[in-house]
Amino acid sequence: MLVVLTFLTVDSLNVTRAGGIQVPNYDVINQEIGYANDWSRGFEVPVIGASEPLFGRTYSLPEATELMKLGKAVIQSRACMDCHTFFGNGAYYGPDLTKSWLDPAWSQIWMPMTGAATRGDAMVEFLMHPEQYPTWTRQMPNLHLTRAEAQAVVAYLKWMSAVDTNGFPAHFGRIQTQN
Amino acid sequence: MYRSQRLALRYFAAAITLFGVMTAAGLLSALYYVDSSLLYNVFDFQMAKILHINTLVIWLLMGFIGAVYWFLPRELGREVVGIWLAEVLFWIFCAAVAVVAVVFIFVQYGSSDQFSMWFINQGRKYVEAPRWAAVGIVAVVLTFVYNVTATAWRARRMTGILWVLILDLVPLSVLYLDAFPQITNMSHDLYWWWWLVHMWVEGTWEVLIGCLMAWSLMELMGTSRRIVEAWLYIEVMMVLGTGILGLGHHYFWIGTPQYWLGIGGFFSALEPLPLLGMVVHAVYDAGTHHMKTTNRPAFYWVLAEAFGNFIGAGVWGFMMTLPQINLYSHGTQWTVSHGHFAFWGAYGCGVIAIIYLVLQQTRKAQNFDSRAWKWSFALLNLGLVGMVGGLLVAGITQAIYERAQGGSTLQAFVVASENQWFQSGMYARVIFGLLFAIGYLVLVYDLLVIGKRAAVAQRTQEASA
Amino acid sequence: MMPANLVGTAVALGLFVLAGGAYGVLYTASVARSSILLERASYLCYVSQLLIALAVCLVSPLGLLWKLFIATSALAYGFIPPVTWRLLEKMHHQHAQ
Ligand code: HEC
Ligand code: HEM
Ligand code: HEM
Ligand SMILES: [Fe+2]
Repeated sequence: MLVVLTFLTVDSLNVTRAGGIQVPNYDVINQEIGYANDWSRGFEVPVIGASEPLFGRTYSLPEATELMKLGKAVIQSRACMDCHTFFGNGAYYGPDLTKSWLDPAWSQIWMPMTGAATRGDAMVEFLMHPEQYPTWTRQMPNLHLTRAEAQAVVAYLKWMSAVDTNGFPAHFGRIQTQN
Repeated sequence: MYRSQRLALRYFAAAITLFGVMTAAGLLSALYYVDSSLLYNVFDFQMAKILHINTLVIWLLMGFIGAVYWFLPRELGREVVGIWLAEVLFWIFCAAVAVVAVVFIFVQYGSSDQFSMWFINQGRKYVEAPRWAAVGIVAVVLTFVYNVTATAWRARRMTGILWVLILDLVPLSVLYLDAFPQITNMSHDLYWWWWLVHMWVEGTWEVLIGCLMAWSLMELMGTSRRIVEAWLYIEVMMVLGTGILGLGHHYFWIGTPQYWLGIGGFFSALEPLPLLGMVVHAVYDAGTHHMKTTNRPAFYWVLAEAFGNFIGAGVWGFMMTLPQINLYSHGTQWTVSHGHFAFWGAYGCGVIAIIYLVLQQTRKAQNFDSRAWKWSFALLNLGLVGMVGGLLVAGITQAIYERAQGGSTLQAFVVASENQWFQSGMYARVIFGLLFAIGYLVLVYDLLVIGKRAAVAQRTQEASA
Repeated sequence: MMPANLVGTAVALGLFVLAGGAYGVLYTASVARSSILLERASYLCYVSQLLIALAVCLVSPLGLLWKLFIATSALAYGFIPPVTWRLLEKMHHQHAQ
């Protein structure tokens, strides 16, 4: 069993390295990201589209990598994982963040609420002052993120939404009406 | 009594104390779900939950370590080698836990620099403790492994149970090194994080509790060594045979290749089988010995361990371990339901059983019984089962409305969370959690007094005779 | 997978293992106490496990291979208690000698 696990681990780490088959490189944050059904695999996969600068600029690969490092450090230092899930792992007090970048709430609720012109800016604004933009009774606390930290987190969430997770979460954002 | 056994008693006292902290922090965490304005921006949900699950890991580890320090000198007929080091480290361990708790309560979190990782909060579930404290835990565990192996070496004796124990402690300790790295790539991070979480609870801990239960059965029911050892080998092979690749049930959705859906689903679906074997063994022993024992509390907690392990881990785990179902149950209160049932059944009950076993021996009580233990047994288990039931209802509600119908957006999350069924589950958790907490208090009372009066009466009888 | 199917399947799988466990416990207890009643009850549990497996195979939306796997393990569960019992007895006897 351990031998099999070793082989699978080598392969899995390769497939999931940034730039591997299922995990995009960090500079994917410069592109548009979607989520659409792949009929051959039978579930939804991320679709990487045309260029779409983040915070009005394009990041080189080293810059994007630095940004991701910071984003991950913020996520760990504030223990986001003890309220939220990433790829469904973590805690369940807040919503799953796997596809947060693609959440319709940004354009429907938070962009109007914050007055931000882009999704990315709305996210930064929300993450820096969540107590000012609640959507319901259960609120996110203010975790004292600097602007740079909040931007790094947003970039991180954008990158995460481009990871091929074998179809989790299923039909994200496509609400089926009851019955 | 050996010094090692006195140390064991200290470990048990610390474990039961932390069990209380865990219960209080669990209740607090549950309250945020019914009153979301609670301590907002002062002491938020994530900090209560961090206290809850970190004390959980620590009290169980302390219970295990204490149990080994208790059984080891009996097994080898000599004092544990290097016991003074273990005694010193015990106090350092307790102090470190206290310091970390104070930091979690008052500092809570830092900014995105290495200082936070070393001294405040690492923010990875179950292993949030800052690195300096993790280093301390490594030191404690290394000393512990040294104590066990050096004592066996010096005694020039090895038993089957000890072989299994020592071989198990090596991967158990090595896996803990996973508590240190900061990996940028979330897929890689979670890949290794699950090695720690899964390989502990469904691998190395399962083997460790198997060794401890083997010792307990020998003492409690007089089962012969040959039998418990033969049984232990079978069990260990089955647990590792299914559990190692069962790891794959956590690799369905984290960016890892699709073949994990088949491998993880298949092997984890076999994981209940060894747990069933343990139940059959417990019933067999209870049956052939006609339920005769002089230590009923320990006996019933051992039975609760066998059944709780099977139902909490086996049944609750099996419900959601096939990928087609896990796609919807993943990351909901359903997971929490399973987590509570399994941890309590497999490890909580086991540690309590061992403490009762040990207390009978330290208090030299022949008639080791009380009314309080029955109350605490009933309240703790009823509280837990009620909680787990409420969480299952809440989790199923989320699977339907948030995952399957809603597509897992913020709006879907809110809709599921405001659903009547979900809310009822959250209230049920608080109410049954309170029952559980009362059961805990009765347990503490009982552990303090059980067997004492009987022992005194016995001694005066002997004196007057 | 539709929500109703999802819950039904998950609950059925839970009951599947639970029935297997009940069968094992009752069977062991029945032999230990040589009680016909308990033995019958244990077979009843096993039969219900088989029926649950059948139901899962017929109506659940699980993939074909998973159904095959459930069916096979349903059969395997049948052997676990008697085989375990015999193994335990053998160990006890060896020890008694
Ligand atoms: C105390 C628990 C808690 C912590 C800690 C927490 N959050 Fe939140 N978060 C929430 C809650 C609750 C919401 C929902 C807020 C609302 O809808 O008004 C939320 C919402 C969000 C959203 C919007 C989700 C979406 O898809 O629409 C994002 C993004 C987010 N949080 C990111 C983070 C990050 C990044 C961190 C760590 C720096 C973090 N959160 C820490 C509780 C928390
Ligand atoms: C003593 C044994 C076990 C313990 C203590 C245990 C505990 C846990 C815990 C605490 C979690 C949640 C982890 C987290 O996200 O923080 C979990 C997840 C999980 N467990 Fe177990 N478990 C045990 C055995 C099993 C078995 C035998 C199975 C399968 C048959 C199983 C199946 C699962 C699955 C599928 C998940 C993932 C849930 C999700 O997708 O969110 N577990 N377990
Ligand atoms: C008074 C009793 C208890 C209450 C009210 C309680 C409450 C909670 C709450 C609210 C959470 C957070 C879940 C989330 O992220 O939404 C949690 C997590 C957890 N608790 Fe408890 N708890 C209690 C007792 C226990 C016991 C006895 C154990 C184990 C022996 C335990 C083990 C865990 C584990 C493993 C987790 C993480 C599970 C996961 O996220 O999947 N708890 N608990
Ligand atoms: Fe697992």
